[in-house]
Amino acid sequence: MEHQRCYIYDPDQADGRSAKRQRTAKLASQAQLPARLQTYHELWSLQNQRIQATLEESEKVTQENIATFIRRTTEGVRDDLAGIPSGLIVAGPSIASHGPFFDRLGRRIKNITDSAYLVLTSGESPNLKTLLKNLIKKATSRVDDDDEEDLGRPSVSSRNAPKLLDFDLGHLQEWRNRNRVQSVVVVLQDSEAFDSGVLEQLVELVYSWRDRLPFVLLFGIATSAESFEDRLSGRTTRYLEGQKFDVTQSDEIIEKLFSAIVASTNVPLRIGPGLSRRILERQKDHVQNVQDFSDGLKYGYMSHFYANCTSIFLKDGLSFEDVSPEIFEAVRNLPSFRIRVEMMLEKSETNEIRSLLTSDQDLFQDTTANVDQGKQILYALSSAAIVFARLRHSLHVSPNVPLSSIWIRAASGDMVGSPLLRETMLSVKKLPSDKLDQLLTAFHGLDVTYFPINLSAYHHELTDLLKKSSSSTPLRTQHDVRNESLRTTVVAQKVLLSKHKANLSEEDNAYSDLVARLHDELDEYFSTTFIDPRALYLSEVLIYDLKSPHTEVFQPKPRFAIERALASPHDYLGCECCGVDNERAEDASLASTQPATAILYQLYLESGAIINVSDLWSAFNTIAGDAEDENTESKTMALFQRSLAELKYLGLIKPTKKKADHIAKAMWRGL
Amino acid sequence: MLPDEIMQRIDREFPCRELQIRHLCALFSPSLPAPSLLVAHGLTATGKTSVIKTFLSLAEIPHAFINSRECITGRHLLERTTAACLDALDGHGGEGEGKIDRRPYARTENINALAMNLQRMLENWGQARLVLVLDGIDAQREAPATLLAALARFGERIPSLSIILITTLPPTTLHKPGTPHLHFPAYTRSALLQILNLHPPTIFPEPPSLEQYPDYTPDLAAEDDAWLWNRFLGAVWDSLSKHTGRDLISFRNTSMRLWRDFVRPITDGTFGTRDFSRLMVNRRHLFQGEEAVLDRIISAPDPNIAPSANGLPSTPSTALARKTKTIQHDLPYYTTHLLIAAYLASYNPSRTDPTYFMKHTDKRKNRRRVHTNNLTTASTPNTKARRIPRHLLTPSPFPLDRLLAIFRALLEGPVPQVADVAGGQAGGDVLEVGGRWRVGFGWEWVRGLGRGVGIEVGEYLVGGVEG
Repeated sequence: MEHQRCYIYDPDQADGRSAKRQRTAKLASQAQLPARLQTYHELWSLQNQRIQATLEESEKVTQENIATFIRRTTEGVRDDLAGIPSGLIVAGPSIASHGPFFDRLGRRIKNITDSAYLVLTSGESPNLKTLLKNLIKKATSRVDDDDEEDLGRPSVSSRNAPKLLDFDLGHLQEWRNRNRVQSVVVVLQDSEAFDSGVLEQLVELVYSWRDRLPFVLLFGIATSAESFEDRLSGRTTRYLEGQKFDVTQSDEIIEKLFSAIVASTNVPLRIGPGLSRRILERQKDHVQNVQDFSDGLKYGYMSHFYANCTSIFLKDGLSFEDVSPEIFEAVRNLPSFRIRVEMMLEKSETNEIRSLLTSDQDLFQDTTANVDQGKQILYALSSAAIVFARLRHSLHVSPNVPLSSIWIRAASGDMVGSPLLRETMLSVKKLPSDKLDQLLTAFHGLDVTYFPINLSAYHHELTDLLKKSSSSTPLRTQHDVRNESLRTTVVAQKVLLSKHKANLSEEDNAYSDLVARLHDELDEYFSTTFIDPRALYLSEVLIYDLKSPHTEVFQPKPRFAIERALASPHDYLGCECCGVDNERAEDASLASTQPATAILYQLYLESGAIINVSDLWSAFNTIAGDAEDENTESKTMALFQRSLAELKYLGLIKPTKKKADHIAKAMWRGL
Repeated sequence: MLPDEIMQRIDREFPCRELQIRHLCALFSPSLPAPSLLVAHGLTATGKTSVIKTFLSLAEIPHAFINSRECITGRHLLERTTAACLDALDGHGGEGEGKIDRRPYARTENINALAMNLQRMLENWGQARLVLVLDGIDAQREAPATLLAALARFGERIPSLSIILITTLPPTTLHKPGTPHLHFPAYTRSALLQILNLHPPTIFPEPPSLEQYPDYTPDLAAEDDAWLWNRFLGAVWDSLSKHTGRDLISFRNTSMRLWRDFVRPITDGTFGTRDFSRLMVNRRHLFQGEEAVLDRIISAPDPNIAPSANGLPSTPSTALARKTKTIQHDLPYYTTHLLIAAYLASYNPSRTDPTYFMKHTDKRKNRRRVHTNNLTTASTPNTKARRIPRHLLTPSPFPLDRLLAIFRALLEGPVPQVADVAGGQAGGDVLEVGGRWRVGFGWEWVRGLGRGVGIEVGEYLVGGVEG
């Protein structure tokens, strides 16, 4: 890797553009982009409010507890042998959501208690000195005049009295004398990433200052409080006197968010079932991160309004003048429009078709009406999913299926006739009266806009029945297993099993009738509302369910892409020179026409863990260099040097001291 | 204040330290020249700092007190020393004199500068002597190598300065004969009992109401408290603290932790306040476990405290409850595997990777689980050196690619490209080329993780782990 820098400026004679496909053409779909942008902002800000509300709701209890804890430390006289009050906040494994969490916590703590709130991360605290400097800087908002960090010299020139050093907590004390806060809350946001030595020193220091500065330490913990405790020495643990705070599990939060944003009734634009499933699976398998979840949804909204010009119909109070003619053309090209037209043709409603195809005005009327209708249908669908989830919850049917998966099934249209639905409806049939009573009570307070069944009538009827019945045992329906008895008869040495219904009392009969009616109505309700939304007319406007933009943005494959680009550059360049024979032979032969870095990379792949640079150069020269012309060697060398530097930049190779003139391989392909 | 009075007062406050106080009084007697250097040494919690501090302030000797723990660097210590000395001089200056002009003392870069500064400020000072106390000087961070030796010789150049060094062990590098040493020995059993008996905690969290029990006066209650506390302390010492945590603070903490549980039968009304022997039999399990001796950040929860975050009441911190709550958050599937892979990469030597993770088996190399049984090696001690199980060693760093390779070997089926590596706990710059990583979690945790996704981590660890 010992090389000298060299610069050869030799611009290509041919015009420079590579044959790569480029998407520069102005697309026609940009029509009315500002209007769509505005619609997006309106819709998303609504959703964002819901997200924030849900998050704050779910964190409220924990934050209140922490604030109370801090307030209590400032009240009451403390024993001077007691340790530093410290909160261990088990904030869950998603590091990315710690930052926003502690921000929100800070706001709340500042609101409720009279204290300074200082957040430290491991990045700004490599050692105790830097940690203290940052702490003081954050507290006093002092501006560091220069970066002369390590000298630790007195901050102002020595005209006057001796000054405190940068990292002296005396600064903090002075500051507190001026500001009179009740307590100084120091948050170590990612305590696992702190060096444990630094942590111990900090704790010891804070402990010895506790008679002058009322510190409260909060540790953000990703794993568990016990493993945090195990990292500290026994002496340090003695200095701390803590309490543990658990943040709500992130899968619960995700479930809540999903119910609030995707599956709730009043959502104009739906994230489709495929995408929802993908986002949720990603949460389960890869990252657990509330931030990522809402980002995914946001990106879905953004893509919908950016790339789909018909999305303008989601705007409230749209008038005909707002819509440009291109958009009507786009609507006429929608698959669902075509299907509709074909269906109308079968019914030979030719006049209507003609007017839709020719008159923009008519199409506008029709589309807005249909969008509204589609919205209503989707609201009803979501509402039915919520009803269904509640039903299962109050019936205690196992397994416990969360609303998110019920909604996804409903939205992909395979709810009707699914075992899940059938099983649930069967258990409704067998419901005894006390359970039914609970069920009807549980449905109180349900949003009944899209729920046609009059439950209170059922409730009245049930209470009447119960009043009439004399026995204390609950009423049972005819389908209840307890009303059946199994009878065995032996006929000709064969055992026959037969079921017999017990005789039902009058009340039981009436009750069976009631339950049967409820069951039928529910069944009817579910089968009418659980339609397949993708078959809906204008579902392209109402539902966003595209997979690839999401995958490309949230699950990119950088390493794979780089490796592929280097190993088979033809895949990306698409040029004729190296493409032709590569089509057949998979692991392409090396050709001098390939980019120099790609050639070098393929040589690199063939070698072992340590590579002799001289061998590499001769191999490179054989392929890329020109054997006849001696003069070009310097040019080839320059290319070689550049490629080597690029590989180093990519982190593929590094210098090694194991052997002279060798470089070490740092990455293997396919990992 | 007369020396005798001082002695009595300190003795009342810090019992069982008469000898040391007497020494101090003699050394810093106003009628005699004080020593230029005094080394006070003793283990933790033997009253070194408190006794000396109280003595100096009661005897009204001008002094500056510097706690080494609060000094981040050696330079910091020097600066603070200068500042503290100036403060002390200002504090003891006569009425007529103004404040000392601090301008010449703006910088104390090194030990020479400190010597110069002290010399200069004490030259013009009327009073007899300034005592400089350096607490815990042996634990000073980034101390200059010559610090102790230089401090020991300050007295030769600055006649009106006395230095007291407070250390845990007597410093061996102090090449100065004739330095008085003051040893603070650890407290004996009787001394500990005597000290802790000064402030017995109450048996009843709230005193019984006078209307209900008019006979049980506060005096009587205090007498009961003291009586029971004394016996209880003896029991704690003999059963637990004698063997571990012998110092005053550990003993006190252990006793305080056990006290509430110990007197619960009395507060419930099962036993009377003087039924010590029955209480001992009833509560003997308290003295059998190690729970009370261990220092924990989270102390046993107070029943008065509001329930914890999930609305569930927090369970008592018994070992069982803690075990079940060890893994709080379920990690995503691939992150779990990554962490297990990281653990294995950190604890297995890289040359054993082919044996453990190759898909095809090479018969020559497959020497998996050779050193499994430690008992057999122990029975033939000459043939093989005994090995420490790997999971008890410190983790070693590994490159990222090895982690990814092991990760792929652990998983069956195709692996998606993206996984959240940041979930792992590694320090340093993530993007550094060929950077080396290291895990920051322990065996217990990774075993729990592995069982969560159906991997028995012990099977992949070189040497194997039982249990």
